[in-house]
Amino acid sequence: MKNKLFKIFALFVLASVILSACGGGIAATQAPAEKQKVVIFVGFGTGTDPDQVTAQEALAKKFNDSHENIEMEFLIVPNEEARERFLAMVSGDNAPQLVGPHGTSTIANFKEYWEDITPYIQKDNYDMSDFYGPATTINKYPDLDAGLPLGLYPSFLFYNKDAFDAAGLDYPTHDYEDASWNINALKDMAMQLTLDANDNTPNDADFDATSIKQWGYGDTWTDMRGQLAMFGAPDQGRPTSDDYKTATFNAPERVFGFQWLHDGIWKDHFIPDANGQAAIDATGADPFGSGQVAVWYSHTWFMSEGLNELPFAYDLAPLFFNQDGERIARIHADLFTMPKDAKNKDAAWEVMKWLVAPEQIVDVCKIYGCLPARKSTEEAYLNYLKERYPNIDHAVIFKAIDYLDSPHHEGWVPEWGKVNDSLNNVLSILYGEPEADVQAVMDQGNEDLQKILDEYWASH
Amino acid sequence: MTFPAFRKMSLARREALAGYAFIVPWIIGFLIFTIGPMLASLYFSFTKFNIIDPPQWIGLANYERVFSGIWDAIRTGDSRQFGDPLFWKSLQVTIYYASIALPLNLAFSFFLAVLLNQKVRAINVWRTIYFLPSIIAGVAVTILWVRILNPRVGVLNPFLKDVLGIQNPPGWLSDPEWAVPALVIMSLWSVGGSMIVYLAGLQGVPTDLYDAAKVDGANAWQRFWNVTFPMMTPVIFYNLVLGMISTFQYFTQVYVATSNSIGGLGSPQHSTLFYNVYLYQNAFRYFDMGYASTLAWILFIIVLSLTALIFRSSDTWVYYEGQLRGRG
Repeated sequence: MKNKLFKIFALFVLASVILSACGGGIAATQAPAEKQKVVIFVGFGTGTDPDQVTAQEALAKKFNDSHENIEMEFLIVPNEEARERFLAMVSGDNAPQLVGPHGTSTIANFKEYWEDITPYIQKDNYDMSDFYGPATTINKYPDLDAGLPLGLYPSFLFYNKDAFDAAGLDYPTHDYEDASWNINALKDMAMQLTLDANDNTPNDADFDATSIKQWGYGDTWTDMRGQLAMFGAPDQGRPTSDDYKTATFNAPERVFGFQWLHDGIWKDHFIPDANGQAAIDATGADPFGSGQVAVWYSHTWFMSEGLNELPFAYDLAPLFFNQDGERIARIHADLFTMPKDAKNKDAAWEVMKWLVAPEQIVDVCKIYGCLPARKSTEEAYLNYLKERYPNIDHAVIFKAIDYLDSPHHEGWVPEWGKVNDSLNNVLSILYGEPEADVQAVMDQGNEDLQKILDEYWASH
Repeated sequence: MTFPAFRKMSLARREALAGYAFIVPWIIGFLIFTIGPMLASLYFSFTKFNIIDPPQWIGLANYERVFSGIWDAIRTGDSRQFGDPLFWKSLQVTIYYASIALPLNLAFSFFLAVLLNQKVRAINVWRTIYFLPSIIAGVAVTILWVRILNPRVGVLNPFLKDVLGIQNPPGWLSDPEWAVPALVIMSLWSVGGSMIVYLAGLQGVPTDLYDAAKVDGANAWQRFWNVTFPMMTPVIFYNLVLGMISTFQYFTQVYVATSNSIGGLGSPQHSTLFYNVYLYQNAFRYFDMGYASTLAWILFIIVLSLTALIFRSSDTWVYYEGQLRGRG
């Protein structure tokens, strides 16, 4: 028995040796060189909807079919898990080669994690002249150029034409030069568009603020810095001095803005308070799509998710001028970034270039809803917009780029996360406290911010 | 096949060795996945560590940050004097929640268990109905309650207003004063687990004790207080320890309920900034893993101390049948 087993074993070993020898020969002559893998981590921003996942798979196939040495793969992670998953990958020495598309806030929050692509641009003498100016500066810091620009998301007003018709109001102007379209005009308009359960407006004596069914204006899908950027403080979207050492949150322009918003919520009732927003959220729709906010301030990224089969007519208008006659319209800018600890960085750079190349950038932006960052593709994208959204004024979109906030409302500040959380705590007072003493709240917010900055600079 | 040395051992020794062999996989897992990370986090708590750069030893600086300024804060009554005011705020929120939710959960689940221990028709159906909510995932329950508690479109406030006549019902999760009570109400939805443990305990109380009490002329309340309650103290003790630990680790419900609200996680106005929420923020939002590890160890010591306190106090109020211990 033992002898038989030994013979079978010997035969098996011999066969293995012969087969592996043949296999080795075949491999040596036929196998292609091993491809360098570039994993693109999607989850911090847009890109996780089922339609987008399918489109990204098609994009990866297109790349892989045309590249022999690099294999592109999208890793889709739910937004609520993205932060932990990314950190786990980095700490496990398994950083993805690219992360994106994501915007200024994620780039600023994780600023120490990204590779500066300046050497890659210099090495290839990469031509940056085709990109819109803001697209090349928003995510660029003295010590970090986070990535090649992919797309811009300028901001403007979305308005419900049916609500205007029902109120007997003229639509807001589409003319960026019309100086009469200012903060007071918006307020007057918004108050006439705000309706309680009995169709009374805040201008009527019988108005019931507890039963509002339609608010005139909303800008609630942004944080405290974003909401106050339009009021034109010297540092615009950044609540600190140029050297990041002094808190400037309670600058007079921001105090004015906070008071204007507070009055809009609690005195004039044309902006939904925290409970109103929670009620809108409970409908499962976005504020504009729910039909409960007549004029909605947002970005182009809202178009792909918010302008789908709405039961009312709508159009776009420029953001109004602020109290000082200035227009500051927030802008978002997305790109793909390369983590410092990633392997295959040269391959990642090739993929990054391919994604924003003139041949691809329009298709890539169609997936993510961004306006391509290349000027040369403006017409191609405009044609796409005309086809996808035939009933809106497309000129409003492109012109908005000229009014961006700088410094940016999501740009880096020391302890970015702490600063944002601290200021968003102030935001919860704005939307939750009808009796808030605005100046005192802003002063306290500034004091808290200064403490965070002082602690940071004490150890840097 | 057996080894000769193994055959020479006594039966008891062989059984012991076999037992150890069976638990070796668990011990290995425990050492690698529990003790290992615990020791690593203890080391990190003495470092400055942002994940991408190697940990940098800073001694007791993280602990100093937590505990500095205590006397100034007490002396002036100004919580901003604390080295890290948000640490103390998060501890205060957690203790506030625990002090309401823990006794309420213990009492409510005990009450339900007593009800479900009665001899009534279709009792198994009732037991199933009351247990069901506890097996629904915490995220789903939280989303459900966020809607129920919504002051404008939820069903609770109209009930309070129209049925109970409360003219200004609370804003619940959007009101800093009522956010924690709202979470306490939410927690009562999930008492099914401890209720079942109580129910099992109630069914184990010997009926001859009730018979003897009846013979002695005890009424229903006296039978409950002098028979049921003492016999149930080991179960209460068990639920108290587990409940205390879980309330100090409260996280998921707050994360789901507040992360997309105005003001973000822990809002409004830090009223739901629970200890674990603050720990999470430090680890994954501020990338301060060293400080987050410090917070984790302080929480561990707090929970360990409270557990020890409960165990120590158990001599005076937990009755173990057949055990000569304390007054029991």
